[in-house]
Amino acid sequence: MDRTIGKNIIRFVSFLLLFLLLALPIMLLLLQWLTAGEDTVLLSIINRENLLLIGKSLLMSGIVALLATLTGTICAFLLYKFQFPFSGFYKLTLLLPLLISPYIFAVAWKDGFFWLLGNTAAIYSEAGVILVHTIVFFPLAMLITGSALSQIHAGYEEAGLMTVSFRKMMIKIILPLIRPALTISFLLSLIFSLSDFSVPAFFCVRTFTTEIFTQFSALYNFPLAIGQSVILLLICLLFMLSEARYLSDAPFFSVSVKGSVSKKYHAGNRKIMLHSFLWMLLVSSLLMPALMLTVQSLTGRTMFFAQAWELIRPAAFQSVKLAFAGACIITIIGLWTAYGKERRNHKLPDLLLLLTFIVPSTVLGIALIRHYNLPAVNFIYGTSLILLIAYLGKFGFIASRIIGNGIKQIPVSFEEAASVAGIPSKKIFLKISLPLLIPSLFTAFVLSFILCLGELGATMMVYPPGMELMQVKTFAISANAPQALTSSMTLINLGVTVFLILLLFVFGKWIFKKFQYV
Amino acid sequence: MRHLFNTIVLFMLMFTACNLSPDEVTVYCTVDQVFSEPVLKDFERETGIKVKAVYDTEETKSTGVMNRLIAEKDNPQCDVLWSGDPVRNSVLQSRDITKPYQSEQTRLIPDHFKEKDSHWIGFSARARVLIYNKTLIPPDSLPRSILDFTKPRFKGRFSIANPLFGTTTFHMAALFESLGDEKAKQWMNDIKTNGAVVAASNGDVKKRVMNGEMAFGLTDTDDAFEAKKESDEVDYIFLDQQENGIGTLIMPNALSLIKGSPQNENGEKLINYLLTRETETKLAKSCAQMPLIKGTEVPENVPSLDNIQPMKIDYKTTSEKLQVIQPWLKAWTEQ
Amino acid sequence: MYKITLEHIMHSYEDKEVLQDFSFSFEQGKRTCLLGPSGCGKTTVLRLVAGLEKPAKGVIKISETVVSENGAILIPPHQRKIGFVFQDLALWPHFTVYDNIAFGLKENKEKNVKGKVAELLDLFGISDKAPKYPHQLSGGQKQMVAIARSLAMQPEILLMDEPLANIDAHLKERILQHMKDIQRQQQFTMLYVTHDQKEAMNTGDYIVVMNAGKIEAAGSKEEISHSSSRFVRSFIKT
Repeated sequence: MDRTIGKNIIRFVSFLLLFLLLALPIMLLLLQWLTAGEDTVLLSIINRENLLLIGKSLLMSGIVALLATLTGTICAFLLYKFQFPFSGFYKLTLLLPLLISPYIFAVAWKDGFFWLLGNTAAIYSEAGVILVHTIVFFPLAMLITGSALSQIHAGYEEAGLMTVSFRKMMIKIILPLIRPALTISFLLSLIFSLSDFSVPAFFCVRTFTTEIFTQFSALYNFPLAIGQSVILLLICLLFMLSEARYLSDAPFFSVSVKGSVSKKYHAGNRKIMLHSFLWMLLVSSLLMPALMLTVQSLTGRTMFFAQAWELIRPAAFQSVKLAFAGACIITIIGLWTAYGKERRNHKLPDLLLLLTFIVPSTVLGIALIRHYNLPAVNFIYGTSLILLIAYLGKFGFIASRIIGNGIKQIPVSFEEAASVAGIPSKKIFLKISLPLLIPSLFTAFVLSFILCLGELGATMMVYPPGMELMQVKTFAISANAPQALTSSMTLINLGVTVFLILLLFVFGKWIFKKFQYV
Repeated sequence: MRHLFNTIVLFMLMFTACNLSPDEVTVYCTVDQVFSEPVLKDFERETGIKVKAVYDTEETKSTGVMNRLIAEKDNPQCDVLWSGDPVRNSVLQSRDITKPYQSEQTRLIPDHFKEKDSHWIGFSARARVLIYNKTLIPPDSLPRSILDFTKPRFKGRFSIANPLFGTTTFHMAALFESLGDEKAKQWMNDIKTNGAVVAASNGDVKKRVMNGEMAFGLTDTDDAFEAKKESDEVDYIFLDQQENGIGTLIMPNALSLIKGSPQNENGEKLINYLLTRETETKLAKSCAQMPLIKGTEVPENVPSLDNIQPMKIDYKTTSEKLQVIQPWLKAWTEQ
Repeated sequence: MYKITLEHIMHSYEDKEVLQDFSFSFEQGKRTCLLGPSGCGKTTVLRLVAGLEKPAKGVIKISETVVSENGAILIPPHQRKIGFVFQDLALWPHFTVYDNIAFGLKENKEKNVKGKVAELLDLFGISDKAPKYPHQLSGGQKQMVAIARSLAMQPEILLMDEPLANIDAHLKERILQHMKDIQRQQQFTMLYVTHDQKEAMNTGDYIVVMNAGKIEAAGSKEEISHSSSRFVRSFIKT
């Protein structure tokens, strides 16, 4: 009995710590906003104009989410269900756009439009925002649906093929089976598109998020901006909770320990069509921005690569160190929350991470400043710890979900068998669950690492004075530096990230090989 | 498990093992990092005081720095704000975040470029200029006044940055001050009718003119100077220089000491260091900023304030004006 | 050699009631088969005995000691001296055959682990498979490993949850015979869950026929074959 109390205390203290670190700042900010007592502010948020703007933003993001999910799903079908040469190459390269900030895409596409058409009017529009967002977010959908597709047991498909045609089987059997993946791809793209301000701001398209941004940064109207953020937050929360309610947390991203169990088809004589579709995507999502950046880097009066490297080098090291630490913490906390949720039915920590995940970066930044900027906790605010907390808030949920799905795939009987054999639960976790979770943990780590390395919104708000970070420096220097220098820096930034990803990829191959049991 | 725990603790220590030594100063800087960082590094080298900087730019709309300063009000972390124009300092002054500062060095700056109680002190100024692409428009066909932008022959050929942000906001507020509200609003509506393209930032205006997308646009001297370095096809002129013209807007950098900051004394040292002829010369060389201290040496290609007819405005009232006209500017942008 | 007694057990999963007032005593040192259609609650009985589930109501005793009672587990699974063979076998995929069997022994600081494992491997004729991983074994070999593992801790009770589903009749016959021999030799109490009446008749000293969370009939093979219950008669026939 004492042990149960002890366990409960540990659980409670850990949760409290997570709550104090992450959720309390946001809640205090909301409380301050609610008790500011400015009725006019509260009322002025809900008016016709704002509602129309929200409607427009939702519509735009909805279209983005639809297109991104559709494109991503088609890619996933082609890459995960068909066998043809270079599919591995496409799988990897089509994921790279995830590493590029949406803002860079916007600039590259604008330049590209001008280059091709001599006119950019067409892209300075809602359509431009939708185009860029779709390109930025479809790899995410591809990753999620691809993972779901490779989990479908070949037996389901083969049984279907006995009675109906291939096309019918795909529509009637495969599509319903990956519905959770499709839904979560749609929702994540929707939420990401809804909360990005950089692209619509660049294309001068007014959305609800740019409106919040304007209130924050042009008018310094905190109460109104926070009020509007609350609306955005509620919308996102509604979507995420309904997903949890109706899909009951069906796995949306799984790292197969057993490798692909699904059936693969031969591309046959459709190869040309298939390659041209994938190349079209590759050109628009990766080659085009990379080409624009390269052209700009090389056509300047002077070559700036050396200077750009000198500028980025110290920041790059610092960023990598920080992203590494961030990814470690996110993975550990993600493991804790996911294990609690899947095996102990403790849902609160996971819910808390969901909350901080959907809070707009600027609001998270301000909440953290207000909460942590106290003399007593300067050891957090004045140091990298504040960034680690921000990263955990931003990406903890994604890691928790990935690991959670990994846990779902381990049969409970594995743990029960150990429990019957007299193994204490701590040992069961360390010797049975943890080793089996390594692929999921590694994936969560890599994804968190990439996301931390590129995070700008909250980083910009809270990075400690004197610290140099790659993403902040690239962005800050780009303001007035020659185009060639800016492009060189961005390319180097991209190069460093891709290099690290390749390293992790090689390491990952080793890990998956070592911990693959079939 | 214990190993894991130890590693985590070590990590934490590694990251928190920071430095609250007395010999440092924290500066929040909205001036482009390429130009401000070398100056701050020189200060560090010459005084031995470590500079901890947070950089932000007009491109990011200074969101980071301004929102930080406002949110940090009760426990300031920053000693000095080095801003690219006095507007931000005025916003902070109105929120009781800055404090007055006077010294030998501040006295070198003409009164016109200082807040009357020295809540901010200006130095090295930029001006608003017209940047143009020589291949698209010959110099003699260029508008001479900002008011010419409404002429039909310029329809759809020029660009200005989003007037809600950066120096463009300040420029618009100065126009409201100079022309009066009615006339300024009319002018803004007219340029919109005349197809003014609203760009994301001054940098974006510069880029559009450089690559030939636009014939001309409004930007700051440092952008124009940078553009000239990059391309032979662009040049710039000062507008409204004719007699009785409204003049061009001059925007000094502005320094403020933050109230209750942790290293006030070092902050003062940094301010004094920045308010010298040497610093102004460095900024003149690197980004064509025009010195405010009489007798400062400047390179030949940097214009001198003595040769420019400035817009006659009071910076404080213009900053106040700005806050009043913001909602109108917002509506104009959203139209 | 333990006797297992379940008294007035009620158990449900979410809103679905699986056991209603279930009472039964399993004879010590005997093989009892729980027979019944899918979803009748056989596995639940096994899991309750193992301590993997808490009974909502009722008492479970092992050798006169109350181990679970009205929603509480008083004695945790590993102190009940049981072995469990899961339906999916639950062989740990990251351990070799040797480690799968040795894991419990090692962690419980037993002496002569190597010797005990070797003995078990030998008993099931899979000594050459010791360094292999589960995925390198055939279905029958996996079943042997799972059973060997459950016997490693020398249990007083062995619980088997349809461990021989999905293997051919010939092999099934062989393994069952082997199991019976071992049980006779070691005299542990064995509960064997199956939905296959032939398997049940072949394995159990006693048979308990279950339907919808209740006992339809219980007794020796002969008694069951002559049961008056219509359900039992139709189930045995099929």
